[in-house]
Amino acid sequence: MMPPKGRKNRRSLGPDVISNLPDNVIDVILMRLPCKDAVRTSILSKKWRYHWCRLTKLKLDESLWKTKKDKLSPTVKFTKIIYQILTLHEGPINKFKLDVVDSKRCPTIDNFIYFLSRNDIQHLVLHFPWQKIYKMPSSLFECSQLRHLTLHDCSIHPPSAFKGFSSLVSLELCRVTISFELLESLINHCPLLERLVLQVSEILNIIEINAPMLKSFDFTGSISSLCLKNVPLLTKASLHLYQGSSVEAENFYLAKFFESCFALEHVSLYFGDKFDYACADQAPTRLPFDHNRVKHFYVPYMNPRESYKLSYYLCLIRSFSYLESFETEVLNLHDAGVVESLELERFSDVIFNHLKEVKLKIFSGMTHEMQLIKLFLAKSPVLVRVLIDPSYLCIKNLISLDRRSEIFAEFSNFFRASPKAEVVYMYLDNQTSRFNQIVNFD
Amino acid sequence: MAEAASSTIEKNNLTLKSSYGDEFVLEESIAIQSVTIKNMVEDGCSSSVIPLSKVDTGTLIKVIEYMKMHSSTSSNEEEIQNFDKEFVRISIKTILNILEAANFLDIRSLLDLCAEAVANRIKNKTPEVVRKIFNITSDFTPEEEAEIRNETPWAFEGDLDHSLD
Repeated sequence: MMPPKGRKNRRSLGPDVISNLPDNVIDVILMRLPCKDAVRTSILSKKWRYHWCRLTKLKLDESLWKTKKDKLSPTVKFTKIIYQILTLHEGPINKFKLDVVDSKRCPTIDNFIYFLSRNDIQHLVLHFPWQKIYKMPSSLFECSQLRHLTLHDCSIHPPSAFKGFSSLVSLELCRVTISFELLESLINHCPLLERLVLQVSEILNIIEINAPMLKSFDFTGSISSLCLKNVPLLTKASLHLYQGSSVEAENFYLAKFFESCFALEHVSLYFGDKFDYACADQAPTRLPFDHNRVKHFYVPYMNPRESYKLSYYLCLIRSFSYLESFETEVLNLHDAGVVESLELERFSDVIFNHLKEVKLKIFSGMTHEMQLIKLFLAKSPVLVRVLIDPSYLCIKNLISLDRRSEIFAEFSNFFRASPKAEVVYMYLDNQTSRFNQIVNFD
Repeated sequence: MAEAASSTIEKNNLTLKSSYGDEFVLEESIAIQSVTIKNMVEDGCSSSVIPLSKVDTGTLIKVIEYMKMHSSTSSNEEEIQNFDKEFVRISIKTILNILEAANFLDIRSLLDLCAEAVANRIKNKTPEVVRKIFNITSDFTPEEEAEIRNETPWAFEGDLDHSLD
């Protein structure tokens, strides 16, 4: 039914509607404000005087004390601010985030952590300044209600009597100084842990991870420092690997990693710079076993000149026997010419039986890219599409129109194992941010 | 044949009545984005007209417009985002009315959307300007105000915005 026409909003609302909103609604508004703005509402009227003090979420960052006129040193000022907040705040604080990454010095927040530990903190995120290793107080380990903990650039020392965070679901430790025994014990004493992000800067001894509920694991470091013992639910892994002792050791531990993570479905893999000089023949052709759960494999960058890395990615593609989608961004600064490890003959014993979709972001028609597409078209009997994003090529005008039509013609000459397979150009339209199909060869 | 098919898949409709007494017929599947209405449907109180004594006609029209857009299967994420952006380009008075209605009707995403819009009118502004925008009268004496500023001086520092937009 259409509403009656011509009737205007007749209801007379009090002049000050916002102040008369229910408390929970005012909370929702205040929680969307930066801390400073929320605190400033205390002066609006008596009704607003202490409203911010009951907020259950607090987010503090440098913007709080960065003023031009200020004569106090930032850390002194910040400590003062923290004390004032502590004095005025009442009730539980469930969520607290501190971000002082860009500060030259780190404010002392021990008392604040102590305060939080006694106020039901559930979600704690602390980003400290780079390379100013802040030593976390032991009261951190008394935050028994913690469900999410994120620590960047600090050092932690769980006390010997620490029994673990029994409710912790998500743990993120980036560049955190901790001994490997304590790290191992910390992870293994969080029985509900579902998400783990670990960035270890130094080579540790091997840490054994026992996390029966773990679903997602994001790791930056050397794979030889890890041993996943019990991760039956782990389905998503993202690895950014540094080289440890030797390439052989890395190969061994990486294979071991895939063996222990038997439930993995999504894999993202990136090898750091140190692997640049390893040769193709140092990478295995296949893992010692087939991994038959991985469905999606993502390689953030693939450079055909880095032969070890390329060979390792191909090894995994061969070994993920149930792979359904593969996505990568091929680095295209120069045409690498024909890359031997991508030649069809090297795959005579392989069929990608389940591969449905291949996606190449940044495509510019180089020889190695054409080889890759040729390979997937020839070896994938159920392939539905190869998606290629040519926007880079279109913007930079790297390739003449003639060459582009040649590329199109080449695609149609490739052998296709799947009658359904199409090569689709995606066009990233900036205004709609949607992928529109602009050219379709079939 | 076609008639029979259409009668079997006939959609359940609900009638919502504004505080002015205007009635709006709405598919149940759309209306139950409101948890309050959903609970009423589940408790079997929805056979007759649902009176919304706290929501005036103008506000209800906006709320229905929002619920229709957000339940539409034909609109993609981006269309919804654009819709939301346009939706809150209205007077602050109307936003506050919708905010109140969204709280009463328990439509979380609409509450968040309007709260964000209100927060944006407070962010980085001087207290004087915020009072003007929202029609808030200060009941503090100048001495009390000075005391509050003194309590958390850092909250009142920096380049605050004096404009009413």
